[in-house]
Amino acid sequence: MRRLRSLVRAALKANFGFAVLSHRLFREKKDIWIAAVVVLAVIGIFPTLYGYLRLIKGLYGLLQPLGQEQAILTFSLLAGQFLILLFGLYYVVSAFYFSKDLEMLIPLPLKPVEVMLSKFTVILVNEYLSVLAIVAPVLIYFGILAKSGLTYWTSAVVVYFFLPVIPLAIVSLLVVAMMRVVNLGRKKDALIIVGSLILIAAALSLQFFINKSPGSEPDAQAMVRFFASPDSLIKRIGAGFPPSIWATKALAGGFSGPGLLNLLIFVGTSLAIFCGMLVVAEKLFYRGLIGIREISGRRKILSPARMSRMVSSGRRPVQAIFRREWRIMNRTPVFLLNGVLTAILVPVIFIIMAKAGGGDDTFILMRGLAATKPLYVILSAAAFLIVCGCLSGTSSSTFSREGSQFWMSKVIPVAPREQAIAKFLHSYVIALLGIGAGSAALLAIFRLKASLFLAALAFALVGAVALTAIGMIIDLARPLLKWTNPQKAIKQNLNVLLALFADLGILAGLGFFITFLAKSGVSGSVVLFIVFAAVLLLSWFSCLFLLRMVDKRYQEIEV
Amino acid sequence: MIELQRVSKSYNKGRVKAVDDLTLTVNSGEIFGFLGPNGAGKTTTIKMIVGLLRPDAGTIAINGLDAQKDSLKCKSITTYVPDYPAIYERLTGLEYLNFIGDVYGVPRADRLERMTKWLEIFELAPAVSNPIQSYSQGMKQKIVLIAALLPAPQVMVLDEPMVGLDPRASYHLKELMREHCDQGETLFFSTHIMEVAERLCDRIGIIHKGKLIACGTMEELKKLSEDMSLENIFLELTDK
Repeated sequence: MRRLRSLVRAALKANFGFAVLSHRLFREKKDIWIAAVVVLAVIGIFPTLYGYLRLIKGLYGLLQPLGQEQAILTFSLLAGQFLILLFGLYYVVSAFYFSKDLEMLIPLPLKPVEVMLSKFTVILVNEYLSVLAIVAPVLIYFGILAKSGLTYWTSAVVVYFFLPVIPLAIVSLLVVAMMRVVNLGRKKDALIIVGSLILIAAALSLQFFINKSPGSEPDAQAMVRFFASPDSLIKRIGAGFPPSIWATKALAGGFSGPGLLNLLIFVGTSLAIFCGMLVVAEKLFYRGLIGIREISGRRKILSPARMSRMVSSGRRPVQAIFRREWRIMNRTPVFLLNGVLTAILVPVIFIIMAKAGGGDDTFILMRGLAATKPLYVILSAAAFLIVCGCLSGTSSSTFSREGSQFWMSKVIPVAPREQAIAKFLHSYVIALLGIGAGSAALLAIFRLKASLFLAALAFALVGAVALTAIGMIIDLARPLLKWTNPQKAIKQNLNVLLALFADLGILAGLGFFITFLAKSGVSGSVVLFIVFAAVLLLSWFSCLFLLRMVDKRYQEIEV
Repeated sequence: MIELQRVSKSYNKGRVKAVDDLTLTVNSGEIFGFLGPNGAGKTTTIKMIVGLLRPDAGTIAINGLDAQKDSLKCKSITTYVPDYPAIYERLTGLEYLNFIGDVYGVPRADRLERMTKWLEIFELAPAVSNPIQSYSQGMKQKIVLIAALLPAPQVMVLDEPMVGLDPRASYHLKELMREHCDQGETLFFSTHIMEVAERLCDRIGIIHKGKLIACGTMEELKKLSEDMSLENIFLELTDK
C-alpha cells in the first residue's frame, strides 16, 4: 500500500508539475506571467458563472412549483458524467499507453494494477477539476436555494467524490480491453484510432438516445400524469445513465431511507465497477501495454528503380514542412484524435443533439429569423463555422507539438517565416475541415438559404485566417517543448486554452461591435461590409504580426 | 572553418557559467576533437555553433559568416548530429531523408546517389522504408548521420557521434570523417572516447568548467604533460 501511495504521489507531482512550477516561479522568477494569466482567467470566469447561476435560479423557479426541481441536479450530474465518458477516452488512451514514464515504470517491481491505478488517479484528479465548472455550481447553488441541511451537503461531497468513478472506470475497462486486441495487430496506430472512434461513436449514440424526444406530442392527460410524479423528469433525463438518478435521489433524500439507499447504490456501483476494472487491469493491462509502441517493419531492400521513384525530386521548403506537419499529425493517434477528429466531431455532435432534440423546431425558428433578420443569421452562422474550424487546437499547439524535435526546425536552413507559413497552411487546412463539417451541420440542421450560407462561409474563411494566426502567435510566445506524453502538447497545453479564450473574446468583441452598429441605425448590408472589413484587417495584421514575431522568437527559443 | 571569439554562455540568470570566454578556431580540412568531463560545456558550445543556443557574449563565425547575422547561410553549409537525436519517429527513414534533401535543396541526382551510398555503407537500406519508430537507437543514430551527410556540408558538427553505433558503423564513420576533411571541409566533434580522439583528430581541445584548458595537436598536448597518453593528459588537466 505504501508503494502504491508513493507511486500515486509521484505521478500527481509529475502530472501537475508543482515542483517545476514553484522552482520557475519562486526560484528562477520565470513565468510570473502565468500567475497573472490565472488571475485574469479567474476574473474572466465570473461573468459566465453569474450567467450560469442565474440560469440555475431561473430553472429552479420554473421547476419548483411543479415539484421537478431535482431534475436540475440530474441534468448537471449527467452532463458531467457524459463529458467524462467522452473526453476521458483521450486521457485514458494517452496516459495508460503513451506516457513515456511507462518505460521506466514497467521494469520496476510493481504490479500492473498499481501502475494503472497511479495513471487512473491522475486522470481522476484531472476530471474533478474538469467537471468542477459544470457540477459544483449546481450542487452548491441548489443546496442554497433549497435551504438544504447538513445531510444534503454531506451527500453532495460524497456524490462529487464518486461522480467520475463510474464513467472513468467504464472507459478504462473498454480501453484496456481494446488495447489488448490492438496489440495483437501490426497496424497498431490505425487500430487505436479505429477503436477510439468506435468508443466515441458508442458514447455519442448513448447521448443520442438520452436526448431523443418522444415521437408524438404528449396529450394533456399524459402531461398531468408526468408532472404528478416528483421524479418523472429525473427518470426521463437520467434514463440512459441511471447513476445520475441514484445520485440525485441520494442528494434529495439526505440520510432518510430512500436517500441513504440511493447513496449506497451509487457508491456501491462505483466501487463494484472500479474493483472490476482493477481485476481486468491486473490481467490485461500489461498485455496491451508492453510492446504497444514497438513497431516492427518488414526488412526489404528497395530495388534501384523503386528507390529512384521514392526519392523526391526536390520540393520547396514550405511544401516539405507542410508534408512533415501533415504526416506527423495524422500518424500520431493522440494528435489525430484531438486535432483533426475534434474539428470534425464537434459539428457532428451538434447535428446529433439537434436531430435528437427535434430539428424541425430549430429549422422553423431559423426560417423565421432568416426572413426578418438575415444579418444575425449570417453572423451567427459565421461564428459557428469559425468556432468549428478553430476549436481543435491545431494552430495553438503547432510549435508545442514538435517537442524535443524542435531542434531540427532550429538547425535547418529554412527561414522561420517560411516554416511559419507551412505551419499556418497546415493549421488552416484543419480549420477548413472543421468549417466543412460545420457547414454540413448548418445545412443539415437549419437548411440555410444558399445566399446566407455563402455569406457566412466567406466570413468564416477570412475569420479562420485571423484565429489560426492568433493561435500560432499564442503558442509561439511560449511553446511547450518539454513533454513526455503527447497529450500534454495538445489537450493539456495551456496555450490551447488561452487561444480558446482569445478566440471567444474576439468573437464576443465583434458581437458587441455589431450590436452597437445595429443599434446606431446602420443598415444591415453596411454592418456586414464594416464587419467583413474589420475581420479582413484583423486577419491581415495577425498574419503580419506572426511573421514578424517568428523571426525573433526562433532566435530566442533555446533547445 | 569555425571561429569562436570570446564566447560565453550562462544559465540560471548567470549563476551557472556553462561556457566562459571561449576562443577557438577550427581550420578548414581539420578534424577537431572536443573533450571534457560531463557538464564541462561541450554540448553548450556545440549548440551555440549550430544556432540552438544564443551566446551571452562573443561571436561565432562559420566559413567567415557571422552565425547570428547570417544564420541561414551558415545553416545551409553546416549539418549537426546531436548526442541523443530526437527525430521524426512517425516518418519513414526515406521520408526523413527526403525532407532533409528538400530543406537543404539537394538536387535529385545527388540525393539518390548519396542516399544509396550511405544507406548501403551503414547497412540501413533494408529498413529505409520503415517508420523510424521501429529503429533501434543505433539505427536512429545512423539515419541522422546519413541525413547530416546528405547535403555534403562544408562544416559538420557532431556531438558524441559514436554513441550507440556498432563497431562496423563506428569504423565507417571514422573513415568518412577523414574523407570529409581530406576534401577540405571542417569537422568538429565531441567525444569521451580518448582512443578515437587520439587517432583521428588533427587537433584536440579540452574544456573544463566552461574554459578551454588545452588546445593543440596530439604532439603539442603531449608536451604539456611529459609524453603521456591522451587519457592521462585529460585526467591530469581536468583534475584541478
